[in-house]
Amino acid sequence: MDRTPMTLLKGTLDVLILKTLSWGPAHGYAISRWIRQTTRDELSIEEGALYPALRRVEEHGWVESAWKRTETGREAKVYKLTVAGRRQLQAEVSGWTRYVTAMTRVLEARPAGAIGG
Amino acid sequence: MSLFRRRPDEALPLSRQKPVAEDVRREVEAHLELRAEELIAQGWEPEAARAESRRAFGEVGAIESECREITTRARRAQRRAELLDAFWQDLVYAGRVLRGAPGFAAAAILTLALGIGANTAIFSVVNGVLLRPLPYERPERLVDLVELHERGYASVPWTSFLDLQAQSRSFEALAEYGGGRGTIQGADEPVRAAVAPVSRDFFRVMRTRAWIGRLPGPGDHAEGAAPVAVVSYRFWRSHLGGDRDLSGKRLRGEFGFDVIGVLPPGFDFPGGTDIWHPLELNRQPTSRTAHNWPAIGRLKPGVSPRQAEEELRSIFRRIGESAGPDFDAVGARVTPLQELLTGSVRRPLFLLLGASALLLLAACTNLASTLLARGTARASELAIRTALGAGRLRIVRQVFTESLVIAVLGCAAGLLVASLLLRALLALAPVGLMRLGDARLDPWVLGFTVAVGLTTAVLFGLFPALRISDVDSGAAMREGARAGGGPRRQRLWSLLVSVEVALALVLLAGSGLMLRSFATVLGIDPGFRADSVLTVELDLPEREYPDVVRAVAFHDRALEALRRIPGVEAAGVSNVLPLGGDNPSGGIQVEGKALLPVGHPITGFAVYRLASTGYFEAMGMRIVRGRGLSEGDVAGAAPAIVVNEALAADGWPGQDPIGKRLRIGGMDGPGAEPWATVVGVVRNVPGSAVTSPARPTYYYSYRQLPYRARWMTAVIRTRVPPLSIAPQVRAALREIDPAVPAEFRTMEERLATSIADRRFTMAVLGAFAGAALLLAAVGIYGVVSYAVAQRTREIGIRIALGARPRTVARMVQGRAMLMVGVGIVLGIAGALALTRVMRSQLYEVSPTDPGTFAAAIVVLGAAGWLASWIPARRGTRVDPMVAIRTE
Repeated sequence: MDRTPMTLLKGTLDVLILKTLSWGPAHGYAISRWIRQTTRDELSIEEGALYPALRRVEEHGWVESAWKRTETGREAKVYKLTVAGRRQLQAEVSGWTRYVTAMTRVLEARPAGAIGG
Repeated sequence: MSLFRRRPDEALPLSRQKPVAEDVRREVEAHLELRAEELIAQGWEPEAARAESRRAFGEVGAIESECREITTRARRAQRRAELLDAFWQDLVYAGRVLRGAPGFAAAAILTLALGIGANTAIFSVVNGVLLRPLPYERPERLVDLVELHERGYASVPWTSFLDLQAQSRSFEALAEYGGGRGTIQGADEPVRAAVAPVSRDFFRVMRTRAWIGRLPGPGDHAEGAAPVAVVSYRFWRSHLGGDRDLSGKRLRGEFGFDVIGVLPPGFDFPGGTDIWHPLELNRQPTSRTAHNWPAIGRLKPGVSPRQAEEELRSIFRRIGESAGPDFDAVGARVTPLQELLTGSVRRPLFLLLGASALLLLAACTNLASTLLARGTARASELAIRTALGAGRLRIVRQVFTESLVIAVLGCAAGLLVASLLLRALLALAPVGLMRLGDARLDPWVLGFTVAVGLTTAVLFGLFPALRISDVDSGAAMREGARAGGGPRRQRLWSLLVSVEVALALVLLAGSGLMLRSFATVLGIDPGFRADSVLTVELDLPEREYPDVVRAVAFHDRALEALRRIPGVEAAGVSNVLPLGGDNPSGGIQVEGKALLPVGHPITGFAVYRLASTGYFEAMGMRIVRGRGLSEGDVAGAAPAIVVNEALAADGWPGQDPIGKRLRIGGMDGPGAEPWATVVGVVRNVPGSAVTSPARPTYYYSYRQLPYRARWMTAVIRTRVPPLSIAPQVRAALREIDPAVPAEFRTMEERLATSIADRRFTMAVLGAFAGAALLLAAVGIYGVVSYAVAQRTREIGIRIALGARPRTVARMVQGRAMLMVGVGIVLGIAGALALTRVMRSQLYEVSPTDPGTFAAAIVVLGAAGWLASWIPARRGTRVDPMVAIRTE
């Protein structure tokens, strides 16, 4: 299995954030851990890059944040998906799915079937 | 609904958010710690875990700064949106409030429109006449030049001008020019046109190019050159048919001119000129006292008028060392052309601008008091809003937004008022008011209006807004509808009304002073009788009347014909009529008096007039001693002369001038004229303005001293309305010579023109004063009505207890008059301070004239009494039972 991390497509991180938050509110570190674990380190993301992205999606109004005390007694900035964010995620997901389906169809097509037909 | 809302509804208000830097730092810190903890839990050494955590995070500093940037930007946008949102809410709310009180809104907007309109109209005149630059290239460098003498100043004589032109380094170009009206033939019909002879560099000074054809070249500016002329765009359109082909276009005036060019539209210097031709066509006198032509120059860049004056003074000093004894200039004065052209109207216009500012202030005061009254009525509404959590700032902003809406609407209505007023001003303004045609509502004026409007919003809006918001919500709500009219606020309100009264008094006093001056001016006995006099300007074409003998013959025949017209009582001619100016004038020698040390054998100066028999009768000028000019005073007979009272007193103080002799010091050499015997003394008549003292003047028979006899004005005294005989006069003159055009004006018109400036200032100031008086009366009415309404119950009780309504009314009115009294005292103080600036506009009236002040006080007092009487009376006519039950 190829272990070279894939470079991240622009805007992908936004989708990952939205997707993560769709399971419930979370603070930055939790989001970062989710992404790390679910992608199994296949995506090379500098962990710090998450934070500007979080603020951007917040600026768009897709998420909102508040400082809260966690179960462990720490103060953490907790992010929560907004209604607009949920809508945005749906749009992104369906866009991705169509894109991937199309690409996959092309990439897996067999030349013999295409030529001579 | 919000147009501007962009933030999510649940976002924290900005005031409860952490500072951006701290927010970012703590979030990053938390991440690093949690990551390190996780690693330690996986068995890392703490040190290594922290290092790994940092490594995995990336560049902490760069990321933090990126985060800060994004959030700062986002918060800024949020703040903007919040402000706009609040403003929009305020605006919507203000609109609803104003719609709910249409009477108040209309009154407020009208009041403001009046104030702003007056200011805008006057400012557009000031802007057009005084502020807007002349329509020439780099007009600030155009200057007027005069020679300074020990006493006074005069035009630069041609010879001295040539010296300046050759030696001065301060100017790009210098020129002299003249101007006069002349008969022009060769256009579609003989016309009288304004003709200006100009020296070689005139158009270089003005930096003008020909619009069609060419300008005169250096070769055209020479004695004996083929005469050429350029014409104004206006003249070209109206009299040359607008034909672009100028070849063969010839005009005959003093010379026969080939028209070689047309100047661009808008070129208008000297003002009103139709035709320009080289001045050098005529030989110019070499005398250094021949102060014939005004001079104009264009300063080099960076040279100030003062520096130019310095240089000219040193040049004059050099000339003085070599020139003869007739040279007496000691320096020069260099004045920006714009200042010169507008000098006489500057003060009256600024005076009117000041007056309109006072009117605006009165309008603002009126509005402030109205808003305050409304604020009182709205106290309970505002108290409820405060109780519901609206901050004081929020309420101030709300109330202020209402003022802003009124101000904006007032501005719009004010522009409408301004355009109407401007039209009235233009119709009323004296013809001579320079560049008045340039007065219009341009972007500068619009900018001015907007500035004025915003200022007024602050003036009349912010103050009451602060006052209104200062409510004790509990007390206000308890008192309900009657709430808030506390004594403090009532006092403030009364004070505002007093200020209105004071402003009205200042304006009334000012316009009263103008009125009084005007009445005095109208009452001046000018020394002639303007009623029933028709004047006809005659200008004999040079070509047909090359010598004065023919001119004299024309006038002889014309007078004879005019006197035969039915309805004519007397007829005469003169070179210059009363109010026609103090030119020409020159040196005279009174026999037996000591000569002045000027090189010429003269003993003084006097204004030079030609006249015919019948002139004094026609003009209504009384002969106070001796006789007037007679049919016997003809060429060849002993020269006879009539002097005015001023010359009699100046030449022969304490003596009878009849039989004494004087001679005029001709320009063409000393003592060229024969001695003339004084045969009569005639009343003084004003030379330029009715208010200016008469200069010493002599009247020579045009038959004995026929210089300038080609330019004469006939004066006809009639028994019928003067203009009604104009057709017969025209016919009679045509019969003698159809080539001579005649221009008719009544003497009354000339008199009216001479005082038109004064009338204009007076009328405008009077209108402002009237408006201010009205505003003050409305203010008084409002405050008294309110006071009466507040005290309905008390009044009802008093009446029920037996007080007579009239007594109660008097009591209410007494307080109002106290308010008026305070205003009058304030107003007198203000007027005493302010009317001083009017001194130059007044005539024989002191700026603190007690009679005028007394009249203004009486008028205001009466208006105040009436304005308080009406509501006081109505208020006390209540049925006591109803009044008591209202609460």
